[in-house]
Amino acid sequence: MNTMPRLLLLALLLLPLSTGCGPTPPASFRLNMVEAIAPSAEKDSISAEQALTPAQETQVATILEAMFGTPDKPYCLPEAGLDQAKLELAAGPVRSDIVGRKNGLYREHCVHCHGITGDGMGPTAAFLNPYPRDYRPGVFKFKSTERSSKPTHADLYRVLHEGLAGSSMPSFALLSPAQIDALVEYVKYLSIRGETELALMRYYFELDEEDEGKLPESREFLVEEILEPIADKWASAEDQEIEVPEMPEDIDMAASIAKGRELFHGDKANCVKCHGVTALGDGQANDYDDWSKNIYKIEEKLKALADSEPDSGERQWIAEFERVLAGDALTPRTIPPRNLRQGIYRGGRRPLDLYYRIHAGINGAPMPAAKGTVDPEDIWHIVNYIRSLPYGFDGELGADRAVAAQPGPAGRLVATQED
Amino acid sequence: MTLNPRPSFIAAGLLAVLAVGCGPARVSGPLPDAAAAAALRTSLASGESAGAVAEESATGTGWGGLSGRFVFVGTPGERAVLVADKDTEVCSKDGMKLYDNSLRVDPGSNGLADVVIFVRKARRVKNPIPAEQVVFDQKNCEFLSPVFAARVGQAVDVRNSDPIGHNTNISGSSFNQLIPAGDSTIYTPARETNMPVSVTCNIHPWMKAYAVFREDGYVAVSAADGSFTIPDLPAGEPLEFQVWHARSLGPNGGLGLDKPDLKWSSKGRFEVTLEPDQVTDLGTLEVPAAALGG
Repeated sequence: MNTMPRLLLLALLLLPLSTGCGPTPPASFRLNMVEAIAPSAEKDSISAEQALTPAQETQVATILEAMFGTPDKPYCLPEAGLDQAKLELAAGPVRSDIVGRKNGLYREHCVHCHGITGDGMGPTAAFLNPYPRDYRPGVFKFKSTERSSKPTHADLYRVLHEGLAGSSMPSFALLSPAQIDALVEYVKYLSIRGETELALMRYYFELDEEDEGKLPESREFLVEEILEPIADKWASAEDQEIEVPEMPEDIDMAASIAKGRELFHGDKANCVKCHGVTALGDGQANDYDDWSKNIYKIEEKLKALADSEPDSGERQWIAEFERVLAGDALTPRTIPPRNLRQGIYRGGRRPLDLYYRIHAGINGAPMPAAKGTVDPEDIWHIVNYIRSLPYGFDGELGADRAVAAQPGPAGRLVATQED
Repeated sequence: MTLNPRPSFIAAGLLAVLAVGCGPARVSGPLPDAAAAAALRTSLASGESAGAVAEESATGTGWGGLSGRFVFVGTPGERAVLVADKDTEVCSKDGMKLYDNSLRVDPGSNGLADVVIFVRKARRVKNPIPAEQVVFDQKNCEFLSPVFAARVGQAVDVRNSDPIGHNTNISGSSFNQLIPAGDSTIYTPARETNMPVSVTCNIHPWMKAYAVFREDGYVAVSAADGSFTIPDLPAGEPLEFQVWHARSLGPNGGLGLDKPDLKWSSKGRFEVTLEPDQVTDLGTLEVPAAALGG
């Protein structure tokens, strides 16, 4: 047989591959479909009645476009406290402007992981561990501020500039400071937009009968009641920085590490419960971060509902929900406590970074705050102990392995050695 | 020897790719209404308000109370035993078992505990924020109050009466604090919760409770016998209440009851106008087992 027809056939098959799946539609933000079908802060009390109607979904999409524009044409009300010029530098398709300056930075550098909407579900997201951050709940882990506060501009700048060690987040140190600034502003924009979307979707439940399932579109409601409380938290982040006392310069490091070790294993700081007696991160390891926990709770609830003889309306809701989860949610993953023997710390390896993590815990993750419980001086001792961990075991591994901690005199935990 | 795959294999491979298409479809919501969005943007940016609703002012005078008793109709069934596999020398000491506390029914009176009832929007508030603290304690690796309420600005004394450390994580509040053995810490809620939020301990994942914080403090949690009383409510004007239970199948945990006289909705809301200087008693409020998932 002649090879010509075969080659023709091949070319014919290659043609649709090269053109892809049809023309590219204009970039648009995605609605938070998981929230639209279960708009509730507590995902274990969701029910079919809550799901937004198509008309309500359209209303949310319309309000969001009015308040925030589109991925190609971002917009912000003055109350959002964002810099429109920076947003325009970061948004839109990758292009050069009239003076040859690169525009569309978010789509060049961020979108393939964090997604066009900042939902942490870009095309590569499912293949990464940890998953890329979903900005929409407005929760960020690595910051210099108190647990419930937003990160400062400098905190986010640092994450972009340094990257996050041990994750897929690379360093963007090769970008100019102005470009990183623009991207930080755009991350804030996507976050404020996402938080607004959550607040709007959850507000439908709060409506009265006479509202007929439609959110008010007044300035009082959309700007003063919904947007301003969100934007104010971002604007006040700089005032919420954690006050860190200097570590004493003449500190006896060996004594400090020994004290830190005692605190690590003690029942006050209790680090040992999750990070394990060996600090390998092998203590309580079957918990989830807030993003995964939401999806996990939904899956559990849907399973329970499916087992409880649902009526046809509920069955339809469950089926629709499963379709949304398959397309619009990442499979929940447990979050292992950090293995402190590796010396890799996502939020930075400066002693100060470790101090922040212990003081405020990690927002969005199970790591609790030691603030108020553990004195600042003791936090420094724990920091010093943690920093010593990657450089060898302090004692015999076998001795450390005795997990069973017994309540000793005065309620203190005493690690007992196994035979 | 060089590899020379037959073109038919390549063709089959390409066909397979075509058949699979572009991966699992993401689910898209409806597109925004561009014209409406443009009009709305203009109105929001101009500072003028379309269809602003005037703040409803108080119409009544005086103060009254509301009381009632929730009763479970049906058989509550055996409580599930929780898997307590951490700190077993405390959490399952001497063979002690921990039970799922999300449905507590009084065996004698069938009273339903842990039902939350609160005013959705009060136009008047009588009392200042109480000085006394709400105590929220944990012992034997369980929260002693499965559901607790506090007023925004009122101090909550989060205690740990166990000989082991816990952490207390209040969902949505960013409060997640270590509570060492025998220690306590003060949490002052700064924001109202629309519905109760979950309280957990990450060290002992089976531990679970709920908290509700209200700006006006008009909130009650039904006692072990199912009874509740909210005093000093604004009288003489319609008041809308929201009712919630952890096991309710209603939206957001709202507890819908068959009470047409109170226009009790499936969202778990009803409306009453209270008489001044007296406690209006709603009597026995029957909660069918089916409303709480059997």
